[in-house]
Amino acid sequence: MAARRYDLPFSEDGSGRFLPWMIALMVYLAALASVAALAAREVVEQWNAGLEGSATVEIAPSPDDATTEERVAQVLEIVRAARGVESAEAVPAGDINRLLAPWLGTEIGGLPLPRLVDVKFRSGQAVDLRALSGALTRVSGARLDDHSLWRERLRTLGRTVQVAAIIIVELIAIAAGATVVFATRSGLAVHRELIELMHLIGSRDSYIARQFQNHAMSLALRGGLLGIALAAVTLGVIAIISRPIGDALVPGVSIGAATLAALAALPLIAAGIATLTARVTVLRTLRQMP
Amino acid sequence: MVRFQGVAMRYASGPEILHDISFNLEAGSYHFLTGASGAGKTSLLRLMYLANRATRGTVKVFGHDIGNTSRRALPALRRRIGVVFQEFRLLDHLSTRDNVALSLRIAGVKEDVIRAHVAELLSWVGLGDKLDSTPSTLSDGEKQRVAIARAVIGRPSLLIADEPTGSVDEAQGVRILRLFEELNRIGTTVVVATHDQRLLSKFNHRVLRLENGTLRIDGPAS
Repeated sequence: MAARRYDLPFSEDGSGRFLPWMIALMVYLAALASVAALAAREVVEQWNAGLEGSATVEIAPSPDDATTEERVAQVLEIVRAARGVESAEAVPAGDINRLLAPWLGTEIGGLPLPRLVDVKFRSGQAVDLRALSGALTRVSGARLDDHSLWRERLRTLGRTVQVAAIIIVELIAIAAGATVVFATRSGLAVHRELIELMHLIGSRDSYIARQFQNHAMSLALRGGLLGIALAAVTLGVIAIISRPIGDALVPGVSIGAATLAALAALPLIAAGIATLTARVTVLRTLRQMP
Repeated sequence: MVRFQGVAMRYASGPEILHDISFNLEAGSYHFLTGASGAGKTSLLRLMYLANRATRGTVKVFGHDIGNTSRRALPALRRRIGVVFQEFRLLDHLSTRDNVALSLRIAGVKEDVIRAHVAELLSWVGLGDKLDSTPSTLSDGEKQRVAIARAVIGRPSLLIADEPTGSVDEAQGVRILRLFEELNRIGTTVVVATHDQRLLSKFNHRVLRLENGTLRIDGPAS
């Protein structure tokens, strides 16, 4: 990047020396907060998608296996006959045992476990869950779980994560603005005499403000690029470290082109904030000069 | 061109520096402003080059009553005034060329025009070979000539010089004042503040004499 010529000796004062580092830190934090929020939202969406369009019928166990199987068959018959149901399959007892094995061990053959019927609905078709639930009362111990409680909780979680991320990014932007105000005011104090001289040879406030805003933009852009580069490295390291455990705990998270563009724009946004803040600060301060 | 009527001035809540100053500078005139150190010469000049506003009275520059002129309108008036400051007030980080170009850049003049004018003017003041030097490498006399070049590059209607001969020897001082006479001959109104009475006596211009903040106007010094 070619050195920009300024009428004011910005390179000789320390007022803006820390600005790139502060902006780098803020862009770094903003990038991580954005990616964390995005990842959380995507995970929640994937979980939600898994729950949406499906329901589970739980059939309480009875001492007699034959009776239980009979009730499972009744449930399947009722569910399959309902409008909007695409499929209904009983989850094999072996699968349930396998799912519970990490908690209960493999020797659980004798335990009275409930049977589950996995129900898939046709997409885009309204299902009368109340009627289905009512029909299932004809089978003793059968209960329909349409996952609405979980879905609502996941929606709340998703919204909370998003709002928290927005608040964090806004706080970072405010902190960046405050940093620029501080640096600009220091610069104005340091260069007060030269600013008076520029006024006396006919400079308008906007000309002087342009000097400060271009300087702030250049520093913020430099800091922003450093911050986003550090964030990219950090995210890369996190991705490598989490790869072996990734899908076992959470569904895979991918960063799309739009998100990448938004992240790449962070240094530009930081530079924009710095430019605007410096300009407003200078113009407000100069207005008080003769 | 410049009219003061009953002007008084004080800095903030300090004592009054200038009292009841009245005078009129006609366009195209050449005046000296003299007085002992601390008499108020610089304060009077600051009012003339619009660095300060009068505490009392009326200051009119180019027909504008400065007391009633908005801050927004001042830059355009200031561009019609060239100022040679007592301590040069050059920007140390800029080259001679950029120091002189500054007032044109501020006025939004195109770079190619600036380049040509600056080189020509620096040659006129004898610094054609110092275009890329920075002020720290120049002698006081050279700095003074850079300051003069900066003051006149915008072809001001009014040229104000505060002790322009203070840091040069007498011969060089005379040369600087002759330079101002050249500008005066092409229509520039000139006001030169100096406490050097010997130098004053070599010229035949009207003298504004400040004594303890009050003004007396004399005829030509010689």
